Formats: sequence, structure tokens, C-alpha cells
Amino acid sequence: MARGALDFGNLPSRDRMFRTARERGKREESLFHPRAPAAWKHVDVVLLACACAVSALGALMILSSTRGTDPGSYDLSFLRKQVLFIALGLVSMVAVTLIDYRRLRDWAWLPYGIVLLLLALVVSPLGTERRGTQAWFQIGAFQLQPAELAKVAVILAVAAALATAETPLRARRLGAALALFGAPAALIMLQPDLGTALVFVAIAMGLMMVAGARARHIVILTAAGVLVVVAVLSSDMLAQYQRDRLSSFVAQSSNGTITAADWNLAQSKAAIASGGTSGEGLFEGTQTRLGFVPEQHTDFIFTALGEEMGFVGSATVLGLFALMAIRIWRTAQIASDRLGTLICIGVLSMLVFQVFQNVGMTMGIMPITGIPLPFMSYGGSATLASWIGIGLVLNVHMRRFG
Amino acid sequence: MSPGEGPAPRLRMSLVALVSVALFASLFARLYDLQVVGSHTYSVQAEANRVRTVQLPAPRGRILDRTGKVMVDNRVAIVVGIDRSTLDELPKSRQDAVIDRVAVELTAAGKPISPDQIRLRLVDVRYSRYAPVPLASDVPEAVKIFFDERAAQFPGVVVERTALRTYPFGPLAGQLLGYVGKINETELAAEKGQKAKPYALNDEIGKTGVEEAYEKYLRGTPGLRRIEVDARGNPVRIISERPPRAGDDIVLSLNANLQALAEQKVAQGLLDARNRVNKDGSRNAAPIGAAVVLDPNNGQVLAMASYPGYDPQLFADGVTPAEQAYLNNPANHFPQNNWAMQGQWAAGSTFKLFVGYAALMAGVMGPDTVFADRGGYQIPGCTGAKCFRSNAGGNAYGNVTISRALTVSSDAYFYNVGAQFWLQQDRFGGPEGMQKYLRTFGLGAKTKIALPGEQAGRVPTPNWKLDYGARTHSDDKWRTGDNVNMAVGQGDDLVTPLQLANGYATFANGGTRWVPYVAIRAQAYATKKVTKTFVPKVAGKVNLPPQVRQPLLDGLAGVPRSGTAAGAFAGFPLDQFPVAGKTGTAQVQGKADTAVFTAFGPLPAPRYEVAVFLQESGFGATAAAPVARALFEGLSGISPLAPVGPDGKPRAPGVAALTGTGGGGYD
Repeated sequence: MARGALDFGNLPSRDRMFRTARERGKREESLFHPRAPAAWKHVDVVLLACACAVSALGALMILSSTRGTDPGSYDLSFLRKQVLFIALGLVSMVAVTLIDYRRLRDWAWLPYGIVLLLLALVVSPLGTERRGTQAWFQIGAFQLQPAELAKVAVILAVAAALATAETPLRARRLGAALALFGAPAALIMLQPDLGTALVFVAIAMGLMMVAGARARHIVILTAAGVLVVVAVLSSDMLAQYQRDRLSSFVAQSSNGTITAADWNLAQSKAAIASGGTSGEGLFEGTQTRLGFVPEQHTDFIFTALGEEMGFVGSATVLGLFALMAIRIWRTAQIASDRLGTLICIGVLSMLVFQVFQNVGMTMGIMPITGIPLPFMSYGGSATLASWIGIGLVLNVHMRRFG
Repeated sequence: MSPGEGPAPRLRMSLVALVSVALFASLFARLYDLQVVGSHTYSVQAEANRVRTVQLPAPRGRILDRTGKVMVDNRVAIVVGIDRSTLDELPKSRQDAVIDRVAVELTAAGKPISPDQIRLRLVDVRYSRYAPVPLASDVPEAVKIFFDERAAQFPGVVVERTALRTYPFGPLAGQLLGYVGKINETELAAEKGQKAKPYALNDEIGKTGVEEAYEKYLRGTPGLRRIEVDARGNPVRIISERPPRAGDDIVLSLNANLQALAEQKVAQGLLDARNRVNKDGSRNAAPIGAAVVLDPNNGQVLAMASYPGYDPQLFADGVTPAEQAYLNNPANHFPQNNWAMQGQWAAGSTFKLFVGYAALMAGVMGPDTVFADRGGYQIPGCTGAKCFRSNAGGNAYGNVTISRALTVSSDAYFYNVGAQFWLQQDRFGGPEGMQKYLRTFGLGAKTKIALPGEQAGRVPTPNWKLDYGARTHSDDKWRTGDNVNMAVGQGDDLVTPLQLANGYATFANGGTRWVPYVAIRAQAYATKKVTKTFVPKVAGKVNLPPQVRQPLLDGLAGVPRSGTAAGAFAGFPLDQFPVAGKTGTAQVQGKADTAVFTAFGPLPAPRYEVAVFLQESGFGATAAAPVARALFEGLSGISPLAPVGPDGKPRAPGVAALTGTGGGGYD
């Protein structure tokens, strides 16, 4: 049997097609899997619609939390920029879907190399520091956050590297894959940006699991990961405020008093909770309108949704995220090859972890770490990365028949 | 390798799905918990976050006399303050420049303040962030124009109009009316939690007198402005506003014209006393005087004069250290004290009415019992020089009954009464047989007038002397001589003018002891709608059977006709306006006598009770009785009450005739 067949031997009903593709090799792909027009008919409309809906709601919430209190001159600049980011994201998504992901695999090293270079440069004096984290390039009025783009680049690179690996993964293969994670993650920790680094861990866990790492390897790596986190927390690598954020999660006040460290969390929870079942109405949330939640349009955008749309609105958005996760997981299942599966699992891990971490922190069940809520938080790089992720999944989905 | 060797991807995919489901499930659960189950707790916090409440000061009610004359009014004054939220938005250097310039301008305008003082006030957290911090009040109009014209140069400086207390009649009844001042820490703490008319720092509160006693009526209901603020505390909009409501006016039982007359006559009496040369060549200091006019039929205070006086306007304008030092210097006899109820002196012979009542009630003397007054009294069972007590003046009045004894003020008669009460205490009600009757007239206890600072006076008893002696290491044994002294009001007994007046009023009205009061009603500022009527309150009853009351009354009625006050009342039309009274001359160790006179009229149904005390002024008949006579002249309409002028004194009688506001009686 050919190696490719072994790789995906137990994926049902796709064996034949997959084997055929593998045997025919890369060069013949375009002949056997014509890009147009058939592929477009298999676009995952549900996934796309969910992403669009969440993005639109996100833009609305960004408007609500940034327009200010002066009815004479509402601040629309954040909304305008976010709309621009979403447009850029959609364009990037389309661009990503245009090229067959199996062809992308050959070029996976290129985006990976670029983001690695950018991550190295961002911690140099070329990068810009904000609130103790050096994570941005200032380009005119915009900031580029390479760590966000690194997530999708790494997913592509690692998926490419593991797609052809034997199962169970040998230690060397696994080591090589982990090195692909480790390099950008280490650079991100230099910024330092614990939250984004944790996203890498989540992606790594997802990919290793599905790519066929041995159970004992996973156990060992998890234990090592925990040790590293403990080591990082007890070292000086994090700024004091970052440690405060984490510790304020551990010692959440239950007596109703608000200390300075709990402020963020307390206001966040107050905003979400005061939304109640049906919310205070768009632009009516007092916590939102009056700016009581710090960083609300970025990391704490979910609080605006919670306050103004209530349980109905926020549960709907969580539902949309869940539906997206289901669609991505389904795409992983039905992908025509292992590469496609791994790409989807990478994107799924990224999405699920970020949603859980971000929404969890606004509700006080996760520590406060600065990662954006996909599709909703204000920010160009994050929005771009999320849409590229969706592009990758759509790419896999629409080419699932060959 | 074969496909069977690796871990089943299907299982692993399921594991991924399982983890994802678990994560989403926990998010949903937490969301439900926060928004549906626990929403209320957090909503309260969010509400508290966004709403700040600011109090808007309300004008204070005025104080009127019984005829509607405004005795305490409000006037508009200009207040300069700084709005912190505006100032905070300026850069630090600009803030300093504004503060420095404001300090310079206010100092130049006669309201000295330093930049550091301003800064201290600005950081005082007790000032509301949403109302200007006051810097200077009652600044000249020119200052307002100055700041208004240069608003751009003084960002954050607010010039507002506010109400200040003003006194149309100057010092008239200053001690009775009291004054207002900024609420202090103690008062603020005491009012904390009070919901109806809450106080804020810098609010005015009544400090003494009527202003203090009727604070809850006079104080306006502050307006409430609920402001929505953003996370930095900047005001965003006004959510709701309840306008301030003016406090109620207090209508006093006082008659301003009568009050002015009383104050003038007390001052005149003291002046006369100072100019009089005593037998030993000494002059009277006559430092303090007081007069009270009551309506014996309900306890209303018609006038309450206290000398020396002060102008409460001092406090409205901001009292200077020099003024404060003057008011607090003992050499100036505390002009802020209302001596008519805070001063207490031995009653002198005015006590004899009460002692006579005790004697008749206990049976020590009968109404017609004749006592031979030989000009003095030998205390039975007592040996020594001090055991013989002479009559004041040394006169012997011969055979006297109770009536005659009162009219001529026979000391010997009452010495005997005092001695018998003690010596025959088994027959006459025990060791406090006399005191028991004295107390029924309210002696030795506060009258409970609703004004702060009233003194209780004293009715001495054996137990009191035991305690007093122990405290002062003096004689603590009650002796016959103590009863004898007390019987003529010369012992350790103390009364306030108000107390004495109320005791005589009780006798005058036939035995009802009222709680004296100064405010008749509270009424709305604008509509004059009565919000509260203060009704007379009975403090006690005195049993006055006719066979007891009549001889006592006859005795008192003789005083101005043929008795000790006959000189003072010479020429007074006692037939048209019969007056009954009693002189008193209380000896004070090492000082000139306290001159006392008290009287009521017109008989037989008295409408007025007058008590006059002049400290260190000599004989009651000489010094105090003329003051009372002058008051009765006003009360009876013989010399109509002149309207009070802006200096607190009655205007010339001619003016009264012209304006037509004069006239007999108090209303």
C-alpha cells in the first residue's frame, strides 16, 4: 500500500478518492480536481453565514462601545475601521479559497517564514509597545500584530508537516512539529503575550491529537506544558499587571467589594449580568455606553453584547460560534485528505479555544488574558486571521470531493 | 505500518468534539447563571456605577413675628465657586494659573483666600464632585460682573446667586432668633441617614435659638439632581431633577414692637442703675438684664429681651476673629446668651408668692393669721449673731396678714414661715414640706421651652445641701436658717426670668402651668398655608382654692398701689389696668443686689405676665419695677407700642401715629 493510503486508511468512504489523489501526485491535482466551477458549488454556506453574522454583530457592538456619549458627535472611527478590516478579511478569505489547499501546502513555509521574521522583528526596536507588551508594528494609522497572523500560518505549516507523517507519530516527527509551534510561541512569549501563546498550545494539542501522536507523548507534553506555564508565571517574564490579572481571577471577590485589581472583571461581569434575559437594548447598555468596562471594544466586546442583547443575544452568538465549530469539525471529518482534516482541526482548535478563553474571562471563569474574540473584537490583524482561518476551512470543504 | 496500529482518528476526532462541546456547555451555563439567575445583584452594581446624586440647596424659611413682620429674611448673595469637573479637564499648569488668579481677584474683592486654601478645598472629598466647591460668598456684584465678562479666562469658575440670612431689625431678639452657620462634623454625623431633608457639607444649619429649635421646619427640602456619569466620573446627562422646596416660615408668638420696647427698657433700666449712686457711694455695674413677657393664658412668649445683645448679621456675613473674640470674652458678658432663660439668679422677695402659697396650703399660716413684724426675726433654737434676721431696710411693719406681708414685703413674716416649715416638719409635710409647693410652680425645673440652653434654676433641699457641701467642702447640714433664707428668696434658690414669669403666670391664670413657647405655627413660604400649628401644652396644674388665691392676689395687687412698687407705678392708671406684682431684691455675696420685678395684669383676667431681672442693679422697686411699668404702659395702650426700626429699637411715637402700626395690645 502506498503511504498516503495508510495515513488516512480509516477515514471512511474517502479512501478511494484519497488514494487516487495521493498516487497521482501533486502535479496532477489540477487536472483531477478542477478548481472551477464545481468547487464553488460546495462552499459551506452555513459556516460563511455564521461568520458574517457574528462579524456584523461585532461591528455593531464596536460602534456601541466606542461611539461615546455626545449625541452631537458620535465617534464612528472604530466602526469605519472595523468595517474596513472585515472587508479586508473577506477579500483575504476569498483569496485563500482560490488556491487549492493542497497547492498551498507546497508554499506553507512561505507565510510561516514571513510571520517568524515579523515576530522576530516585532520584539526588536521596530515594534511598538503598548501596555507592557511589544506586539505591534505601527504602519500609518494602523497596527499590525504578527502574532495573530502567525496562528493561521502555523496551522498551515504544521498541518502540512504532519499530513504525510506516519501514525502514530514518531517522536522525531512530533518533535519537528512542536518545533514549528515552539519558535513563534517563544517569540510571542518574548513580547510577552501569554494569551496568544496559549492559543498556540491549544492548536498544538488539537493537531497532535488528530494527527496521531501517541497517548504517552500527549500526556508527557501536557505535563511539560503545565510546568512551563507555572515557570512562566513565577518568573519575571510577565509584567506585574499581567500577573495581577491572572491572580484576580484566582481570588475573585465574592463579598461584592471591588478592589482595583478586580475592577476589570467586576465591571465585565456587571455589564453582562445587567443585560439579563433580553438585554438593555442596542446603545442602551449603561456599562457599555458610559465606558465602565476597560478594553471593551477589543478583548471585552462580549460584555457589550451581553449587556445590550442579554441572554438571548449572547446565547445566540455563542450558538453561532458553536455552529461554526460543528461545521468546521464536520469539514475535518469529510475532508478529502489528511491535510484538509488537520487544517480544519487547527482552525477549530484556534476558534474554540479563543471563544472559550475570551468569553470565559469576561464571565470570570477564565483568567484575564488579552486575546480577542474571533470576528467580534475590534482589531485588523485578528479579524484578518479569523477570516483567513475560515478561508482555509472553506477551501477544504469545497474541495472535499477531490 | 498498517492502519490498525495508530490510534483511531475517529476516536480522536470524537475527543476533540467532546472537549469543544464541554467548553461551549460551560460557557452557556455560566452565561445563564450570570444573566438569568444572578442578574439582579449585578444590575444594582451597574446602576450604582452610573448614577450620582447632587443636592440642590433650598431657601430657608423665614421667621416672622405674630403680626407678620419679617424678623429673619433671606437675601440673594453672590457666591463664587469652582466646578471641579471643568477644572480637571485643563492641563495642570492652566489649573494652577486659574486658581492663582481667582485667589488674587477674590482677595482684592475683600474675600481673602490663598491659592493653597483653594487647592485644599478642591481636594476635599466631602464636597460633591457635581456641584461647585464654594470659595467666597456674598461677594460684591462687581465681582460677578468681572468673572462673567471674563468667563473664558476663568474656566471652571462659577458665580452663582444664593440665599443668605438677613435681619431687617438688626440685633432685635438676636439671642432668641439665633443664627445659622455651616454644618459641622458633629452635626453632619448626627443628621446622617436622615432622608427627608438630608444635609450636605457646607449646608446651613440653625446653631442657636429659634433657628436651631425649629430647624426641621425652617430648612428647605433640597432638590435632587440625578446625574448619569461615565466611568471616569464625568457627567453625561441629567436623568431626573426634583426642584428644591423652600423651608416653612415660622410665625413667632413674639411681638416685634413689644420686643423692641422690652429691649430698650431693659437697657435703659441698666443704664439708670449704673448712673445711680448707692448709699455706700458705690455704683452699680448693671452688666446683664433680661425681661420676659408671657401670655399667662397659654404660655406664649410675647417678648424675651436679653442684655447685652448682638447682631446675628455678624454670623450671616461671616464672623471675623475679632468679633468672635469679643463675643467670647467674659468681660463682655456673653452677648449671645439668652439671659432670660440661661441666666439664673436668686429670686429675692418675688419668691414670697410661692412661699406664701406653701404656708397657706400646708396650714403654717391661715389667710387671716396675724403675724407681728417687729423688724426682724429670731430663729427659734438658734444661738449666735446670725440667728437674728432683720427685715431688708430694717422697717417693722407691725401686725401683718399674708396679704399685707406680700404688699409690704415683710421678711419677718416669711422668715417665720420658713422656720416653722422646718421646725414643725412633722406637721407641715416633712423636711421638704415647703419645697414641694414651690416645685408645683415649676421652680427648680426647666420650663421645657423649645429653645436650646435653658437653665433649670434651683430649689435647694437638705439632700442638695448634703451633696453640694460634700463637693465644695462647705457646711453640708441643712439648718433652720436655710429654710428661713429660702422663704425670702435669699438662700441658694435660683430662678431664670422665664421660670419666674411662668410661675407667676401660673398663679395669674388660676393654676395652669403652661409650657412656654415661642413659635405659634409653621406656614408655607409662598402660599402661607399652615403646615403645623403649635398648640399650648400644659406642664402641670397648681391647686389654687379661692381662699388661698384671693389673699395672695390681694397682697400682690397692693404692691403697685400701696406697696413696694407704689413709687414705680405712681401715675399708672391702675384703675383702668389693674396690675398685681412683686418686687425682689436678691442679695449676692460681694456684689450689688439683683433687682427683680414681676407682675401680671390686667386684673381680674390677666393677659400679660412680665418678669424683669437686672443684675447688680440695686433694689427691685427702684431698678426693675420701672422697666416693668414701661412695658405695661405699652401693653395697656397708655403709650402705644412704637413700631420697631431697622436698628431694633422702637421708632419715635410720632412715627407710630403716622404709620398707624402702633396700638394697644400685642396684636
